[in-house]
Amino acid sequence: MSKIDDETTKVAVPVSVPVPARAKLPSVKRIGGWHAIGPIVIFLAILAVVAILTPAFIGGGGLAIIASSSAPILLLALGQAMVLNVGSIDLSNAAIGLLGAILLALTLGPVAGLSPLIVLLATTAFGAVNGLILAYAQVPSFALTLGTLGIFQAVALVASGRTTVYVSSNGEGVHSLYESGIANVPMTFWMGVLLAVALWVLLRYTRVGRGMTAIGKNESAAIFSAVRTRSLKVLAFALSGFAAGLAGIAIIAQAGSASPTGLGSDLLLPAIAAALIGGTSISGGVVNPLTVIFGALTVALVPIATTAVGIDAQAQSLVYGAVIIAVVALTMSRNKSSIVK
Amino acid sequence: MVDKVLSEQGAGSISTTAIRIRESGIERRARFRGLAEPLSLLVALAVLIGVFSLLNERFLTASNFQNVLTQSAIPLIVAVGATLVILLGSIDLSVEGVMGATGMTWILLSANSRGGVDLGPWAWVIALGVALVLGVASGLIFTALKVPSFIVTLGMWYVGLGIATMLYGTDLLPRLEDEGLKGWTSTITFGLPNSFWVALLVIGLGILLLRNTRIGRVTLAIGNSETIVRSAGLPAFRVKVAVFAIAALLSGLGGILATVQLDIGSPTVGSGVLFIVIPAVVIGGTHLGGGKGGILRTVLGVFLLTILNNGLILSGVESSYQSAVTGAILVAAIVFAAWSQRDRLQVAK
Repeated sequence: MSKIDDETTKVAVPVSVPVPARAKLPSVKRIGGWHAIGPIVIFLAILAVVAILTPAFIGGGGLAIIASSSAPILLLALGQAMVLNVGSIDLSNAAIGLLGAILLALTLGPVAGLSPLIVLLATTAFGAVNGLILAYAQVPSFALTLGTLGIFQAVALVASGRTTVYVSSNGEGVHSLYESGIANVPMTFWMGVLLAVALWVLLRYTRVGRGMTAIGKNESAAIFSAVRTRSLKVLAFALSGFAAGLAGIAIIAQAGSASPTGLGSDLLLPAIAAALIGGTSISGGVVNPLTVIFGALTVALVPIATTAVGIDAQAQSLVYGAVIIAVVALTMSRNKSSIVK
Repeated sequence: MVDKVLSEQGAGSISTTAIRIRESGIERRARFRGLAEPLSLLVALAVLIGVFSLLNERFLTASNFQNVLTQSAIPLIVAVGATLVILLGSIDLSVEGVMGATGMTWILLSANSRGGVDLGPWAWVIALGVALVLGVASGLIFTALKVPSFIVTLGMWYVGLGIATMLYGTDLLPRLEDEGLKGWTSTITFGLPNSFWVALLVIGLGILLLRNTRIGRVTLAIGNSETIVRSAGLPAFRVKVAVFAIAALLSGLGGILATVQLDIGSPTVGSGVLFIVIPAVVIGGTHLGGGKGGILRTVLGVFLLTILNNGLILSGVESSYQSAVTGAILVAAIVFAAWSQRDRLQVAK
């Protein structure tokens, strides 16, 4: 009996004494710091390799090419990061983006300037529907958005009649987003940067943003702290839909047409990879939209870098997969006793 | 202290009886739920079959039945592995990549139109070896480096596709030239297609693994609470690696059979399988959080989706709508399953 008591006190001592707990704090901080600069360091490291091996690429406006090709990925990744931040995942956002592009191509002719607005409203609503079902039926987001992914894909197929939809008229305004730019980088990319800054402000300085991060860190605690978890989750998914709509606009700006199998049809996984390489935690509560920009740039850079290093074009997806695993393994914060699923 | 606890228990014997009654009630309800969910799936299947056979008389013929079984065989094989991984509470997204890599390895080492070597049965061993390496790699990165399985297997999907694309190279399509194997998957033996016999074998072995082996029991336990598994000294690490290896082996087997069925080698031989397999597992009632569910339920899920798609095509529904139907059924199934357990304090990820 007394032995049991002894053992319990022995176990209890290190927990109750505050010194070791305090000693642990700096390491957590250090990981946080690595989180902030990791994505930038990785991007610059890969860029440096490319710059050394093919100096002509950087001189010949290569950075602008990377930035312009990363624009749709960046927009989708920002929306995905918002959803990941509340501890969920949105597998349907790329499909929503593509559907947005098809809707834009269909409506630009008839309603001209109103069309982008309609598309953004529609995609935001699609995202919000995901969020509403998730929040009120309490179903896992992975399965839910996998289901709605199928539905949006089918709607895109039916709306486009399985072919490429070209913008019939009034396409100049949207197209100029890709043609014009600052520092040789198209406006579509700056649109992503602007959205990233806006989301960063939302997450850092507003009650709404802090609440979203709180849900990702510990949803039960957030509920008990009177955080409006349901509305905030709906908002996170609506933002994902909105960002997907912007991605759809970026696709039309770049290609002038949209098809269910063309540009933008396989952006789901690159966008998730961009969000994760950008330091977003897949289990929620850790996100920085500003570093997601570098995540998206890295994802766009990897194919270029593999060619620059002299790796066969056919090995690209192999390198791509290895880089995703390696980068996340390097930048992830983990502690010894945590359970990883 | 112990004595005091014991005496307290003795004094409160009436309340323990109450607790026991309550517990048996919970158990009974759990057993009812365990029966009700597969039953509702069976009813849904029966209704589907009834409706489709009214819509098109070709639906309820033996040849269409065999057709459905051939179509469902590969998703069934892959889904057994996917169920095991999901029971851990993890996810395996790499199936299509593993299928591609294994299928390409196999066809290039078998009799094919590009010539090269014909290793016969050794082609199977080496190809499945590739799958095993990919699976063990996923499992080790997941467990040793603690990278979430979603990301590891997402990366492994690309790695598998990359291997397949490199093997494919820039030469002509490798066409299968083994006359004995051509069309083997859909050949009927004892009334059932060969590939379905393989699937039945895999399902049987999967059920045995889950029910009667240490790996299976620990898999379920990890899904329920990994903390408890670890503190009980059970080999969580090894079991997780083993489950990812088994899942990859089954994806690889699916990849080889899909290559035989397609008759040519292609890196994208597994294209679309993931979107059948994961919805099928979830519709079957296996929890994405792990610990709850089983292989037979997944089998029902795969049948539901295959019969639905087959029936819709026979009823003249355009194939564009297929993914919407799968998606809508998936959403309906999860909402239906979660509806009774909604609670203000419930956490849904």
